[in-house]
Parts: sequence; C-alpha cells; structure tokens
Amino acid sequence: MSRKYLLLILFCGILLAVPSIVRDTFYLRIVTEAFMWIGLAISWDVLAGYTGYLNFGHGIFFGVGAYTTSILMNLCGWSFFMTLPVSALVAAVVAVIAGIPTLRLKGAYFAIATWALARAIQQMVLVASFTGGPDGMRLPPFLHPGFFYYTMLIVVGGVFALNWFLLEKAPFGLKVKAIREDDQSAMSLGLNPTKIKLQAFLLSAVPAGILGAIYAYWITYIDPASVLGDMVTDQAVVMAVFGGLGTLIGPAIGAVIIFLFKTYFWAYLSDYQVLYLIILGGVIAASVVFLPNGLWGTITSYRQSDKALKHEPVSSRSDDKGDPHV
Amino acid sequence: MSEPFLQVNAVTKTFGGLHAVFQVSFQMNAGEIIGLIGPNGAGKTTLFNVISGFYAPNSGKILFKNLDISGKPPYKLARLGIGRTFQVVKPFAGLTVLENVVIASFVKYPQRRKAEKHAWQILEMTGLVDRANVQASSLTLAGRKRLEVSKALALEPTLLLLDEVVAGLNPTEADRTIELILSLRSQGITILIVEHIMRVIMNISDRVVVLNFGQKIAEGSPRDVAKNPEVIQAYLGEAPQ
Ligand SMILES: Nc1ncnc2c1ncn2[C@@H]1O[C@H](COP(=O)(O)OP(=O)(O)OP(=O)(O)O)[C@@H](O)[C@H]1O
Ligand SMILES: [Mg+2]
Repeated sequence: MSRKYLLLILFCGILLAVPSIVRDTFYLRIVTEAFMWIGLAISWDVLAGYTGYLNFGHGIFFGVGAYTTSILMNLCGWSFFMTLPVSALVAAVVAVIAGIPTLRLKGAYFAIATWALARAIQQMVLVASFTGGPDGMRLPPFLHPGFFYYTMLIVVGGVFALNWFLLEKAPFGLKVKAIREDDQSAMSLGLNPTKIKLQAFLLSAVPAGILGAIYAYWITYIDPASVLGDMVTDQAVVMAVFGGLGTLIGPAIGAVIIFLFKTYFWAYLSDYQVLYLIILGGVIAASVVFLPNGLWGTITSYRQSDKALKHEPVSSRSDDKGDPHV
Repeated sequence: MSEPFLQVNAVTKTFGGLHAVFQVSFQMNAGEIIGLIGPNGAGKTTLFNVISGFYAPNSGKILFKNLDISGKPPYKLARLGIGRTFQVVKPFAGLTVLENVVIASFVKYPQRRKAEKHAWQILEMTGLVDRANVQASSLTLAGRKRLEVSKALALEPTLLLLDEVVAGLNPTEADRTIELILSLRSQGITILIVEHIMRVIMNISDRVVVLNFGQKIAEGSPRDVAKNPEVIQAYLGEAPQ
C-alpha cells in the first residue's frame, strides 16, 4: 500500500519537474496536449463507461468553453483566469439544456441526438457574427509553454482525482453504474435516474469546457472546425474505447498512446492526415473486436483471473454451479 | 391497527384497449402476508407496477399509510419504504452481488462504509454471503432471485412486494426462500406476494386476493378461496400452474 503512494508521489514529482527537464518547447507542447486529451477522454468516459451513454457531442463543451473564453477576452477584455469559471458555467448550462431532452433517449438514439446537436451548434457558431463566423477568433498571444503545461497538469490532475473519488470511492460511482446496468431496478431502489444522469453529464461536460478554454488561450486561434468539429469528440471516443471504458485509468492510457501515435505521424510523415485517419479507424475496429474491454480492461481481467486462480478456493469461483446456497 | 396499512381503491390500468387491471380494491393490514394469485396475464405484475409507482393508474387510488401515493415515481416510493422485486429479475449484471445490494442500502445508509456493512448483513440473511464478490451475472437463476429479494430488503422496507420469487426454484431452494419470507414477517414487514405455486401461497398467506382478466374475483382465507367455484373455474379455464 505505502509503496503505491510512494510511486504516486514520485510520479507527481516527475510531472512537476518536466518543464525544467524538457527544455525543448516542441516536446513540452506534446506533453501538454497529451494532458488535454487525457482530460477529454476521461471526461467523455464518465458518461460512456460509467453511466452508459455514448455522447457523440462531447466536443460541444470543449468548443463552448473555448469560445466563451475567447469572446470574454477579446470582446470584454477579461483576463484569462477570470474567464475560466464563466466557461465552466456556460458548459454546465449547455449540459443541462442539452441533457434534459437527450438523456431520456437510449442507446443509439442518444448518440445520434448528441451528434446532431454538435453539428447544429457548430453551424450556429459558423453563422454568428460575435464568434467571428468561419474566420474564427484570435486571442491575445501568451507565449509561455510552462504556464500552459502547469495549467493543463493541474486541471487534468484535478479532474482525474475528482473522477477517481466520485466514481470509484463515493456512492455516486455505484449509483451511475446502477443506472447503466438497469435503470428500472435502480429506480425501484430509490435512485432518481434523471437527476443522477444529469449530474454525470455535468461531471463530464464541465471539465471539457475548462479544457476548451485553456486550449483556446494556448493555441491563440480557434474556429468552428478546430474546436467544435467532429475530431475533438471522435478522438476522445477512440482513446477511451481503446484504453477501456469505465476504468478511468484506461482512457487516460488510451489517450497517451493514441495521441503520441498521432504526433509521430504528424511530425515524420507528410501525408499524415489521411494515413492517421485510416490507421485510427483500423485501431478502433481491431480494439472493439480483439479487446472488447479495451487495453486496460483486458489487462485487469487477466490479473484478476490470475489472482482468482491463485487465491480463491474453487467453490467461490464464478463459474461454479454446484453451490448449494444459490 | 385502526387504519389499513395499504389501501388499493378501485385501481384501473389499461394498455390501449386492454384492461390489465380493472377496478381492483383490497386492503392490507400492517404485518400481514397477502397472496395475490391468478392465471397468467391476470394483471398481477401490472398491479405491482402500479403500487410501486412504475405505472400511474388510469383511475383509482393507492393509499400507503394513509398517504395518497398513486402516480408517485418509484424512487420516491422506495424511499418511503416500499420494496419490490421483479418477476423478470433485474440484477445489475456487471456489478458484484455486494455492490448490487449496497446501492439499495444507500437509501438508509448514505455513507459507503455503513452501506457496505448493512449490505453484508442483508446477504447474511438471504444466504448470499459467499457469493458477495462475484459478478451478479454469474449467479444462477435461484441466486438472482435471492439477489432480487436482497436488494429490496436493503431498502429496509415496511411493505415488500414479491413477484414470483419462488417459481423456478428447486424444492430445497424454495423452502429456504419460504423460510426467509416467514422470518421477514416476524420482523414486522408487510408482504404482498405473487406466486403460482399453490403450496407456497396456501402455506404462508394470511389472506389471498384472486385476479382474473384484471378483475378481483375472490378474496379471503387461503382455505375459502381454494374452495371458491369462480376461482376453480378461472384456474381450470386456463392451464393451472
Ligand atoms: N407494458 C405493457 N403493455 C401492454 N400490455 C401489457 C403490458 N404489461 C402487461 N400487459 C398485458 O396486461 C395483461 C396483464 O399482464 P401481467 O403481466 O400483469 O399479468 P400477470 O398476472 O403478472 O401474469 P403472469 O402470471 O404471466 O406473470 C396481459 O394481458 C399483458 O399482456
Ligand atoms: Mg406477472
């Protein structure tokens, strides 16, 4: 147990020291963006893996956060940090407005509805004038890679810790899983599915909004395609599915692997876009077929069956049918 | 007890043109076990769904401890102390048996640690302790039925609705479940039980309510109901179970 904590502290120490070790801003940017994708993948997974709702409009919140910060900084002259809570709040409001009608839907209908909503919002931002329409928005540049590294690190680390606590330790995690497994049974046991699903939606949406806000200030230029397009959602989906839904650590690992893979392509191959998408599609198809529980889910189930073989008496194994008590 | 514990007053529930439950009335006193019987499709499960809040009645009223609960959502009724099982069992398949029960324990014990402790006690009572850490999906049918009861019990209900929790069990398993039901009664829980197996109903019910085609056709002691010609007719008309 204590070794686990030592490793965790060591890991945090390394993360905090990265900017002073990695002097090359190219690599620092890569790590910073990897954090962002971890945040997007784990926040998408709150709804997909834990609650059982495939949200194909997750990018909405990223985009809304990005645009809120851009508008406040550009048109109202706010400082970056003042815009963050507003971006979070706007993402939350959008989540409530989008969630109330869509969370009644199930399965593919929810996926289609959220996807359609994302496209609608992208179009709306495209034709609006205060968003700069198709020209997008420029933000006052702040060229300080270390600042963005630490901001992303703190936000994503905080989101990870919050999700770990709420979903793995607190009652909330079991409640959302109950809804995922059987909402009728959950209802008969005192759970209000509408309320819990909405809470999960907020837990998923608000971090994405904050990440969008940081991204906008970091990249200094956003347009509807870059922050509200399909790719934000799609990549978060692939990362989480590849890593393993509903495992928290899985989507984080999936995000790192797939993001590094993408960056490698981008850096060393000229036709990277097309190839990346082809390979991404291949990876997702293969992982759904060969790793239905994702990378992390597969690893842990091997470890568990190992443990079970070593430590559990035969009579309590799950495939045993001879137990007189049941 | 001056006031009945549960009053079902002229409850009707229709699906399209079909009266699944039509003008059904009966009362339960605290601590009673009432058997609800009737041929397949008589409306027993539908009536359970109305009492537990899954369907609002088209007309009629349900009073629980003198409170009108008709049309209230199931999760509110669960918190008021109405526990139910599902005829088609609904385990949280991907979670462990213990986790299944803990979820229900949260109603009375919001803290995780206390809820877990409570869930262990429930599993002890229902005989699922040694399965606590297996996935609910790996339980046999008998285990799943026990789990249904465990989840409902973890609410610490005062009214328990049991929908065919004995059917499909072998005689030993059935006896264990009957024992459990009787011990629940001795704890003061009021129980409404649907069961096709007459041996069960006749042995444990204080009174029996008989439904046929959505209507109540008889009510009384198990002995009287078994002699009632209309009841015999209803069961002979359909295939008896
Ligand atoms: N959701 C529904 N929609 C339409 N019809 C329904 C629905 N639920 C039940 N019914 C119909 O209502 C009638 C009563 O069904 P119910 O399930 O309540 O019977 P039951 O007494 O529980 O039967 P069984 O002994 O087979 O469980 C049946 O004719 C059934 O087909
Ligand atoms: Mg039924």
